[in-house]
Amino acid sequence: MSPYQEEWLFSPDTGERRRRTDAVPATSQLIDEATVRGIADESWFALIGEDEHLVPVPEPLPAEVVSSWVRVSGPWNGTVVLTVGRGTATELTRALLKQHAPEVLEPEDVEDALGELANVVGGNVKGVLPAPSLLGLPQVGEAPRPADPADVVRLEVLWRGQPLAISVQGATRALVH
Amino acid sequence: MKILVADDSRVMRQIVIRTLRQAGYDDHDIVEAEDGRDALDKVSSESPDLVLSDWNMPNMTGLECLQALRSAGSAVPFGFVTSEGSPEMREKAANAGALFLIAKPFNEDTFKDALDGVIA
Repeated sequence: MSPYQEEWLFSPDTGERRRRTDAVPATSQLIDEATVRGIADESWFALIGEDEHLVPVPEPLPAEVVSSWVRVSGPWNGTVVLTVGRGTATELTRALLKQHAPEVLEPEDVEDALGELANVVGGNVKGVLPAPSLLGLPQVGEAPRPADPADVVRLEVLWRGQPLAISVQGATRALVH
Repeated sequence: MKILVADDSRVMRQIVIRTLRQAGYDDHDIVEAEDGRDALDKVSSESPDLVLSDWNMPNMTGLECLQALRSAGSAVPFGFVTSEGSPEMREKAANAGALFLIAKPFNEDTFKDALDGVIA
């Protein structure tokens, strides 16, 4: 349990506490990059392959990227976004489908695969964030921008030498009254 | 034995089917459903011996499908395969009559642990 959750649950409900918690805590107070990395590592190990590693070397994404994301709604509101280059998206789809991958992948196969990766990572991220919360269905396209560019926990790694980013980004501005 | 695999992701249905085979359950008939509504219909039309269902799906969630099945008197063995494995989700699943909840990501050992005793 994070210090924020402990305070929220166990401290007396004074007006002071309520005023401070009306402004939702920063995402980095609830989850850190190492936790996101652990979730990503486990997801890649199980779904992509035991010999597939995410290497913690940040490199810029290519100009042409595609993102998939899931929304989390609850005490913390925001999105968990996976972003890769278009070529990497295709390679990830083949890696997920393994021998069942068709010779020519349809765009919907790539969207499906990328969305499912965001769903698995996002579902596990949701489990770390304050409950109760709801997980939305995966979406694919141009990622939603964070409400506050500073309110993002971002993991940047290389997979098969290609850059890949996972962002846990809050939608705090929408909630501040 | 006939197993109904329900997930709105075709890719994930393939991964579930592949993991079933890797776990040693490779001589069973597999039927696929693309959401909870489709799964509900196929329990009637296909009479599976086991349902493996995602939770979060459009049209009808896996939980709504299970609740509809139990309300209609169906006792088909039902387990979830979902990206959310929190204690709250597990409690909800058990209360609705699910036998188990396999959290994604999973491997063949996770499947064996959940399915041994369910699949003969």
